[in-house]
Amino acid sequence: MALSRDELKAAILKKAETAPKPQLYIKDFYACDPDTKPREIKNVANDLVKEGKLMFWSSGSTTMYAMKSRIKNEEGDSGVN
Amino acid sequence: MAYDPANPMVDRISDIGPRYYSEFHPPVVKANKGKWLWHEITQPGVLVHKSETGAECWTVRVGAARLISIELIREMCDIADKHCDGFFRFTTRNNVEFMVDSKAKVQPLLDDLKGRGNRFPVGGTGCGVTNIVHTQGWVHCHTPATDASGVVKAVMDELFDYFTSMKLPAQVRIALACCLNMCGAVHASDIAILGVHRKPPMIDHHRITGVCELPLAISACPLGAVKPAKAMVNGVEIKTVAVNAERCMFCGNCYTMCPAMPLADPDGDGIAILVGGKVSNSRTAPKFSKLVIPFLPNTPPRWPEVVAAVKGILETYAKDAHKYERVGEWAERIGWEKFFEKCNIPFTIKSIDDYRLAYDTWRTTTQFKYTSHVK
Amino acid sequence: MAKHETPLLDELEKGPWPSFVTDIKRQAEKNPACWDILGQVELSYKEKITHWKHGGIVGVFGYGGGIVGRYSDLPKRFPGVEHFHTVRLNQPASKYYSTEHLRAICDKWEKYGSGMTNMHGSTGDLVLLGCRTESLEPLFYELTHELQQDLGGSGSNLRTPANCLGQSRCEWACYDTEEACHQLTMHYQDEIHRPAFPYKFKFKFSGCPNDCVAAIARSDVAVIGTWRDNIRIDQAAVKEYVAGKIPSNGGAHASRDWGKFDIQKEVIALCPTGCMWMEGGDLKIDDAECTRCMHCLNVMPRALRPGVEQGATICVGAKAPILDGAQFATMIVPFMKVSADNEFEELIEFIEKIWDWWMEVGKNRERVGETMQRIGLPTFIKVMDLEPIPQHIKEPRSNPYVFWQEEEVEGGWDRDVEEFRARHAA
Repeated sequence: MALSRDELKAAILKKAETAPKPQLYIKDFYACDPDTKPREIKNVANDLVKEGKLMFWSSGSTTMYAMKSRIKNEEGDSGVN
Repeated sequence: MAYDPANPMVDRISDIGPRYYSEFHPPVVKANKGKWLWHEITQPGVLVHKSETGAECWTVRVGAARLISIELIREMCDIADKHCDGFFRFTTRNNVEFMVDSKAKVQPLLDDLKGRGNRFPVGGTGCGVTNIVHTQGWVHCHTPATDASGVVKAVMDELFDYFTSMKLPAQVRIALACCLNMCGAVHASDIAILGVHRKPPMIDHHRITGVCELPLAISACPLGAVKPAKAMVNGVEIKTVAVNAERCMFCGNCYTMCPAMPLADPDGDGIAILVGGKVSNSRTAPKFSKLVIPFLPNTPPRWPEVVAAVKGILETYAKDAHKYERVGEWAERIGWEKFFEKCNIPFTIKSIDDYRLAYDTWRTTTQFKYTSHVK
Repeated sequence: MAKHETPLLDELEKGPWPSFVTDIKRQAEKNPACWDILGQVELSYKEKITHWKHGGIVGVFGYGGGIVGRYSDLPKRFPGVEHFHTVRLNQPASKYYSTEHLRAICDKWEKYGSGMTNMHGSTGDLVLLGCRTESLEPLFYELTHELQQDLGGSGSNLRTPANCLGQSRCEWACYDTEEACHQLTMHYQDEIHRPAFPYKFKFKFSGCPNDCVAAIARSDVAVIGTWRDNIRIDQAAVKEYVAGKIPSNGGAHASRDWGKFDIQKEVIALCPTGCMWMEGGDLKIDDAECTRCMHCLNVMPRALRPGVEQGATICVGAKAPILDGAQFATMIVPFMKVSADNEFEELIEFIEKIWDWWMEVGKNRERVGETMQRIGLPTFIKVMDLEPIPQHIKEPRSNPYVFWQEEEVEGGWDRDVEEFRARHAA
């Protein structure tokens, strides 16, 4: 059975905190709950950004997700997202 | 309420999209949408569209740099306010179109444009060379192998006569992309000017730990040429990557993912020329552009070698092609061996594909033409 | 910011084509930061290498697209371009503007940025070039509050959709490209502003097979207008073309003397399917053989028009060469009604079916065309619940390596090797 929204949020945050690399593709979160559709997982991950718990990390052409505390930014900006 | 930096989310508006297009239609367009019967180019740069209501929309097309200032946009607004009821548009090829609803209004508009120096050249229609679509280059990009705006300016200065006239066998679409990412549609253009790198990336071991996720850099390489490695930095062993230079195809994809792998270089970088692409389905299917000149050096400010190469191909085509034939259709009719001979372009092994799907481009027939290439 | 000597760039003020150098200088008189654009680019001209750095992380709150970070690698020497971020504004469909709206954008850009723009970027956005990080939020606030103007897409988002001007000023558009583009843009605001996919995804809308927005070369879903009945012929106008009374090809060849218009040579002989002929002064077309390439319509726009049963062909999976080579979009749906009457329901359903599959099986940084190629067109056709038809291919496969499914083979795949050996000595 699919996880509840809150359970899914917790699972995504745990993954973002413990994964070996700080930047994660959206696909990396799919494993948090194989029973939830990718589009729904994407929506939950984007909600976590809105809540300030995750941030977007972009190479320009590709956008990934990260915990703010784990990102070393070349420019020393605090990531605004 | 004004923006409050302390509370950026207060009153926030998001996801409203662009403005609705019909707010911006000139009146003659709004009244005749879906009712157009036919069009005609009455002189280079001037089109008339006739509606079933009898109304006419006269369009004056003007070339512009893609990189333009708000001062210039305001001047365009002045022109549109004066002649076009306060509306105008841009084309997908960075041209500007001023529209009026009667023939009588065309000449005053043309006169006004002419009186503004060389800022508003009229043309870019029919069987000519229209504006070059291009990318950012040294003006704004971090991965370019050449500039964009400057090369385009130099080429358009030389081909200006083809912008303001319609004497070619068909339209010729030129595009420029300043690196292999090809942010411009150069892979399907009659003549494509493409920035290329020729040196493998350097590895900045001092920076790589701070700015790169090594797995991303390693997986970015389509040929598996980037491998995990170790290096000594200030007496400490660090994890880094190594590049197998023999397998590098200079695409720069690793640099996109990892800023500690720069590959741009003044001598390594330059321009390749590709020809024969098209997007339209007219007569023949869309075609990719094909690489005919693998490298020309970067020679700012006016890139004379590139300008000469483009002009040479264009004028050979103009003389030799049949009416309606696009560059690629012409090259296929005469055969690529003839293309190289007629354009006086040395054929090199670099034009023979050895990447994926390469076999599709090899000749598997005994049919060919004897040109000077066959000794 | 002081003026810099720019002897190399000054060379680009010569010649008949409009000069971006002259234009930046004009802007620099108002905003001295622009002198540093010229200074840094002059240095690139001298050294033949860029001086811009990788993006870094910038954006506006809650959006994962629309802003692309950019920094100078010589900020002390060129402080005016220390931060030089790109702001992508979602262009209105067809890129018509009122001067009122454009002037308002110019005013905001004068207040918060360099004053330099791209009209437009390759994808279609109105691009503002050169913003400092701290100006992004106030600029966005005023754009949305005062101008009702939102940002476009970047990164792994749905990129800003684009369309040819379609029925607004073209007689060939077979559906309303601007309405389709606008409605889908509005429908997918979340996907445009926040990452949603393994990689970028693009829609483009062209009204006819001439494809003026290069949809078939540049978009993951290309919606290209077409028709399925007969080309409408005005025989009186055909006769006028033959008599040379109307300029052929819409006047597009007018600057050179190509001789008298020859309908046999210029239209009938160039028809790729040979489905046209003259009969008693009339032009005849065997429409069942026509592939709707547009050549005859292009040459005689006053005599020939698309049929009246109009819709679009949907092609999927185009991309530029990075990384596995360039791909044109593959024809997937030969004819689809594309209409605002049902809010483009069929098209939206089609797109979301692609997304559900691609999000699941697409690799990171893999365009859907590459996924299709890796997994195969037969699988894609099955996933999309479509009937395979010969229109999907140029020619049938020439290798025999069919991936048969067990249920397609009589008796299945389970066999007893002992029993086999009893009958066949080893």
